[in-house]
Amino acid sequence: MPKTPNEHRLELLQGTLDMLILRTLQWGPQHGHGIGQAIRTQSDDLLRVETGSLYPALHRLVKRGWLTAEWGVSEANQRARYYQLTPAGKAQLSRERDRWAQLVDAIGRIMNPAPAGRE
Amino acid sequence: MHPDDNDLDEEIRGHFALSMKERLERGEDPASARLAALKEFGNVTLTRDAMRGVWRHRWLEWAEALGRDLRFAVRALLRAKGLAVTVMVTLALGIGANAAIFSVVRGVLLRPLVNRDEDRLIYIRQSAPAIGAENMTFSVPEVKDFMSRATTVRAFGDFSTVDFTLIGLGGEPRTVKAGVVGGSFFEVMGLRPVLGRLLDPHDDGPDAAGAAVLTYRFWTTSLNGDATVIGRKIRLGARTATVVGVLEPSVPYPAETEIIANVVTSPHHLGATMVTSRTHRMTELFGRLAPAATLEAARAELTAVHAGMMREHPDAYSKTANVQLRVARLRDQIAAPARTILIVLLAAAGVVFVIACSNVANLILARSVRREGELAVRAALGAGTAALRRTLLAESLVLCGGGAILGVLLARPLLVGVASFAGRYSVRALEVTVDGTVLWVGAGLAIAAAVLLAYVPRLPSPHAPAGLGLASGSLRITPGTNRRLRIFATTQVAFSFVLLAGAGMLIATLAAMQTAKTGYGNMRQVIAFDVPPVATGVATADGLTFFREATRRVSQLPGVQDVTVGTAVPWRDAGLFPGGTGFAVEGYKPADGEEDPRARLRVVGSRFFTVLGVPVLAGREFTDDDGPGVEPVSIVSQSVAQRMFANGDALNRHMWWTDPYFGKPVPRRIVGVVADVDDESVVPQTVMTIYMPVRQVKYGGRLFVRAAGDPHALVPAVIRTIRSISADQPIERAATLEDVRAEVLSPERLNAFVFSGFAGIALLIAVVGVAGVLAFSVSARTREFGIRLAVGSEPRRLLARVLGEGTTMAVIGIAAGAAGGYVLARAAAHLVEHVQMPDALPTVAASAVLVIAAVLASLVPAARAARVDVLQALRAE
Repeated sequence: MPKTPNEHRLELLQGTLDMLILRTLQWGPQHGHGIGQAIRTQSDDLLRVETGSLYPALHRLVKRGWLTAEWGVSEANQRARYYQLTPAGKAQLSRERDRWAQLVDAIGRIMNPAPAGRE
Repeated sequence: MHPDDNDLDEEIRGHFALSMKERLERGEDPASARLAALKEFGNVTLTRDAMRGVWRHRWLEWAEALGRDLRFAVRALLRAKGLAVTVMVTLALGIGANAAIFSVVRGVLLRPLVNRDEDRLIYIRQSAPAIGAENMTFSVPEVKDFMSRATTVRAFGDFSTVDFTLIGLGGEPRTVKAGVVGGSFFEVMGLRPVLGRLLDPHDDGPDAAGAAVLTYRFWTTSLNGDATVIGRKIRLGARTATVVGVLEPSVPYPAETEIIANVVTSPHHLGATMVTSRTHRMTELFGRLAPAATLEAARAELTAVHAGMMREHPDAYSKTANVQLRVARLRDQIAAPARTILIVLLAAAGVVFVIACSNVANLILARSVRREGELAVRAALGAGTAALRRTLLAESLVLCGGGAILGVLLARPLLVGVASFAGRYSVRALEVTVDGTVLWVGAGLAIAAAVLLAYVPRLPSPHAPAGLGLASGSLRITPGTNRRLRIFATTQVAFSFVLLAGAGMLIATLAAMQTAKTGYGNMRQVIAFDVPPVATGVATADGLTFFREATRRVSQLPGVQDVTVGTAVPWRDAGLFPGGTGFAVEGYKPADGEEDPRARLRVVGSRFFTVLGVPVLAGREFTDDDGPGVEPVSIVSQSVAQRMFANGDALNRHMWWTDPYFGKPVPRRIVGVVADVDDESVVPQTVMTIYMPVRQVKYGGRLFVRAAGDPHALVPAVIRTIRSISADQPIERAATLEDVRAEVLSPERLNAFVFSGFAGIALLIAVVGVAGVLAFSVSARTREFGIRLAVGSEPRRLLARVLGEGTTMAVIGIAAGAAGGYVLARAAAHLVEHVQMPDALPTVAASAVLVIAAVLASLVPAARAARVDVLQALRAE
């Protein structure tokens, strides 16, 4: 199915979706739709998570033990699965955050090399 | 923890509800909100599969999907029964033939022998290729030299065969083939008894008591496994022996025997000639490698010992004979004669498999073209490439699985046939049974075929506009598909051509052998009997009287025209004195360093040539007066007269044997010249032959009776007559010369038969292939033909066009087959001996058969093309 091109939207970097999910859940339990909306609004609509990636990712994180899932009732008065961070998930988040910082720093050094002699 | 499908559905529903709520709150109308939510979500099925996939083991999920596809495939194939049956039968033929032949190859070439530590067992052979003696065997002094000098061989076992007249195990007196072995034989061979004991060093030497071991085959087939046989006394010719045991089932090599006895039972083995003459060779030699010795080391050492022996006794090893020593692992030695034929059979079966697969590929390709619409719909619904391949794989697995099951069922009767065929080359083939191998080979071949076939069809390309195929769902044949179909059909024709030409070659050879002039005029009327002299090979004075009495009485039987005595039944007793015997003639002096000429030595009775119908060209035959005490005489064949005497004038000149076996040379006057006959080779060659009279050489053993009517009707009367002279006299193997020749030719006949079978299967498959491709191409081009007819093309021309397409495929296939076959034969010539190029006749015949088959195969589709209904064809799309 051909995708409609959207100049403003950014493609998610490979491997960052898990980190974004974990980060979003730091504020408390949330269901899949809510997580998607949170990522979208917090990125000022620049990042939009495909539903086809989001739900499998959630299930993957549950399987790894970083999240737990419980049925609850959503704002739409419908049953929804609420995801919550586990202690292992919190540890994983801080690991990924560190890795991300390192990555940004490293890429930043290459893209914007510090001019010689400037301090 | 593990969510089930309902959970997944509910979670997705929950997402939709939230998404809808959000949109409705933004003020969208319900219909467009719903559409937008669906669009945003994307492919629900794929997402749910991905979510489920997180929780599944990848392979498990794949297998489950395959199971689903398999069920679907079975249902789909039930709707296309014709195709399914054709594919399965074709594959079954290919798989069955391969499984059967592979089982035999495994049983004959690869399976270890039952002997203890069989990989340490070696077989030693002395041969003289220059004089055509493939197996010279060894003499006792030679064996002793090896025993005393070799260090790489822990122990040697010796084995020689003799014929005994056996009396005392029930039934009539009869000749048995017996092995005579030294005390170390069974220990070296590493064989065990199933009953009693085997022979050991205590049974060795001239002073031991006679002891005999029965072979398993003889014990079970002739004695019904009677356990009370142990301890029974039997008469073996002149001596007696006690049955001490029964040998376990094992491969009889070098000769199949019924009993194996110790040396003391054979007076000949104790005689001075046997023990002291270095050239009196009749012993086969086996060895067990010393610990830590390798085959190569043993080969090197034994060759050195042999070279030393030849240096020390130059008189015993003729220079021109080029005596050589061969050392081989026993298992390889036993397998050697069958190797070539089995490899050829395996190749033929492989070719049949390729043909079968390419035919099946064709059918499946054609089917997949018909299914392109379906596949396009599935792709549009989100099936990935892997899923589509899996669907195709499931279908080909069902087809190939069915084919494999049929093939394995088919393999059982095929295996019996192939094993009895291969049994002529290796006794091991007879023990081959249908076992797990067949199943594994069948399954392996089926899976290989299935995977191959799943990758034959092209998948709908994700980039190609799917609209067309989706919309019409109709049959559409692309030039690429058409070309592929034709290539497969042409491949089948090419491979069939190779097999047909090969079969044609074998049939031509067989025909040449069957129609070859043998030189014997009375093949049908003369019936030969083995009347072996009791106990030993040498007739005594009593023996001569016996044969004189036998000929007198048999000649008086009603229906008997004539009787004579000989020592060898043509072809059946071939190989009596390999390499010929040296002789000299009056007035012919070999140049310095030249070897004596060699001739076949034959001993025949009076009127032998009249009885067998061999023309006497000059002089006379032997008569009853050519007996002991009168002038020694001989008869020579025409080739001797022509080569050894000026003007071929041999009559009344003298010849004598120079071989030391005859002792002091005795000049024999040549009293006759007879036409050349070849009583050894199947295709007659001119071989110098010299005959001596039975009554002077005292050597007989074969009775030839010429019948006025049906020779087989005389058999009971002749046997009664012989028994009335001597009740203990064996008389057996009655057969006319024509029977003997048919028997000798049967391996060739079987070769031709088996190959023709393969070629026939290949031809059948190729015909189905060509017909299938054309039928498909015609049905796919119905519209084209309709248009052609509508614009005025004559039906006749359409017919000719389709026929032409079929013939073109056949011609291209034949050309490719001829070229490929030529290259293949050249390559094979490096690997196996006796590779011949087929002559022009079989090649042309094979081409003709294929072209005719192709035309016949094209007829039905061609007729259909010519009969296309214009209106229907144009309305069809």
